[in-house]
Amino acid sequence: MGQQLFDLYSVVLMFSRSALSSCRVSRKVQCLSSPTRSLASVASTSSAIPSPPPPRQKSASGTLKPVLNTAVILTRSPIITRTPTPFERTYFGYHARIQRALHNPFPYDFYFKPGSLLEGRFREKEREREREAFGGPRKTSTTAEEGAEDAPAAAKDVEVLGGEEEVTTVPREHESDRNGDVKDLNRQGERNLHLLILGKNASGKHVWRFPQGGLEQDELLHEAAQRDLHAECGAKMDTWIVSRNPIGVHQPSPEEQLYVFFYKARILSGQVHPDGNNVTDFAWLTKQEIEPRVERPYWLGIKDMLADF
Amino acid sequence: MSAAAATATRAVAQTTRGRIKLIKKPLRRDRYGLPIPHVDIIVRDTHLSRLQDHYHNTLRDDLMYMTYKHEPASRKPQKQAKLRFDPEDPYTKHRFNPPKGGNTWFKQLPPPTTSENVVQLERIQLHTMLESAVASRANLLTAIMAFRTLSGESREAGGRHTAEGVQIVTARTLGGKGWARRGQPIGVKVDLKGPKMYDFLGTLVDFVLPKLRDYNGLPMEGPSRPLDSPSAATGVVSFGLPPYALQFFPQIEVNPDMYPEHFGMHIHFITNATGVGAQNKARALISGFQVPFSRA
Repeated sequence: MGQQLFDLYSVVLMFSRSALSSCRVSRKVQCLSSPTRSLASVASTSSAIPSPPPPRQKSASGTLKPVLNTAVILTRSPIITRTPTPFERTYFGYHARIQRALHNPFPYDFYFKPGSLLEGRFREKEREREREAFGGPRKTSTTAEEGAEDAPAAAKDVEVLGGEEEVTTVPREHESDRNGDVKDLNRQGERNLHLLILGKNASGKHVWRFPQGGLEQDELLHEAAQRDLHAECGAKMDTWIVSRNPIGVHQPSPEEQLYVFFYKARILSGQVHPDGNNVTDFAWLTKQEIEPRVERPYWLGIKDMLADF
Repeated sequence: MSAAAATATRAVAQTTRGRIKLIKKPLRRDRYGLPIPHVDIIVRDTHLSRLQDHYHNTLRDDLMYMTYKHEPASRKPQKQAKLRFDPEDPYTKHRFNPPKGGNTWFKQLPPPTTSENVVQLERIQLHTMLESAVASRANLLTAIMAFRTLSGESREAGGRHTAEGVQIVTARTLGGKGWARRGQPIGVKVDLKGPKMYDFLGTLVDFVLPKLRDYNGLPMEGPSRPLDSPSAATGVVSFGLPPYALQFFPQIEVNPDMYPEHFGMHIHFITNATGVGAQNKARALISGFQVPFSRA
């Protein structure tokens, strides 16, 4: 295993030494080597990863200098409400029926002018809701008489008001859900979606990963995250980096001093426009859809940073 | 086990456990003659709350990342408050002995950020004071009815003993100009919690705030304001609505004529944030529900 790794990295090095020289940070990062580092998800993995190889520069103390990279987890938040589970539906229905059975009498006189059209319409609606909650109307003598009195009035009201205006509901399932279009931002409306891109890694192989890049000289991590995101995904979208704090760090290989800091971002408008060269494809995916696409060690490093729902 | 024994067991089970026990004794009646059920009936959530879901699915993570403060080393112990008099002195031993320099609860640091203590909305309080109630307490009826309509809360509603409903506020101190006596009812307040709180917040953001004239947002002080003042260290965000805003609530809009007097109100968003800078955390939370803020 170790020998394979070494071979892989030597190949990787031949390809990308020149490309990487711009990404390197010559600053010495003290905090990373301190023993009290307690950031969220440090994953230690030991196989090929879609990230640039570590540098061979040595610092004065003889250890390898750490290299910092930033990656962005660009998220689209839910755009429609969640569908309640069957249990929730039953629970809510049960408590709504209790509430309907026990609530104080509705003050019709306060809200409606007695005998007005609106009142008749509201009473008719209320009778419908009552039937829906508790089944058919009770055939006691008093309610039957009341119903007989009210029914023609209500029917007349509806006639006068010209009936209900047609209310059409938009389907909860978007067209992209049916045809499996993973690039559409309207897909899976009730879930959190994350942007995954099909980009070159250091060995020139295309793998699914989050937008990622290196730091420039004297650049702050959250600024680098914003710049790298636009460099890989185009500038035709409005994004917002949620916090200056990284939400996690991933160390692709325990032997090498490479650390990828993940930032959370939200997309407000626009869409990803890959350049077609370095990045060829992209997809908006839920957490469960990401797992089969990415490599196993990468998945273990990132899975705790993603929204479960 | 023989077949006979099995049959016998089944028969016993049917007589003891298998049968539903019918209620033969009539239910007790309360003083109004209504039957008292033999279980406590409590109305809990009746629907999925849109903004509550928004908080748990979207806002909560973001707020944790935004308010996170990295503290790798453990904190230094806080300086003990010095008492005004020597507590060991027999003369002052059991006397009132406040800390020197007054109470400094608002100088306390916030607790370390964890995933458990992310800032969260606890309740929304609506409050109004009617000057006309001094002349006649019947003038409070308008405000009581409006608050009941806005909140949907009533005392012990749905069998919940903690539901306080709309409460009368009495004058606490002698008015400076002498226009209100101590204990005189002059206002009305109501606390909203749970799904009703989120429903009210949604109504406020979707219907009321967009209709206000020349409204830039909730006023906010400048950045130079200290974070350890009493107001900045409470996780409460407060603002006021003018009297004409009352008619923009859809519940009031259907019959505004039934409320002879329109009044303004204070709205307090009360969160669980504590310590220095708590109010800014509360603002971050409230702005996540699309409540606008503006620098005064």
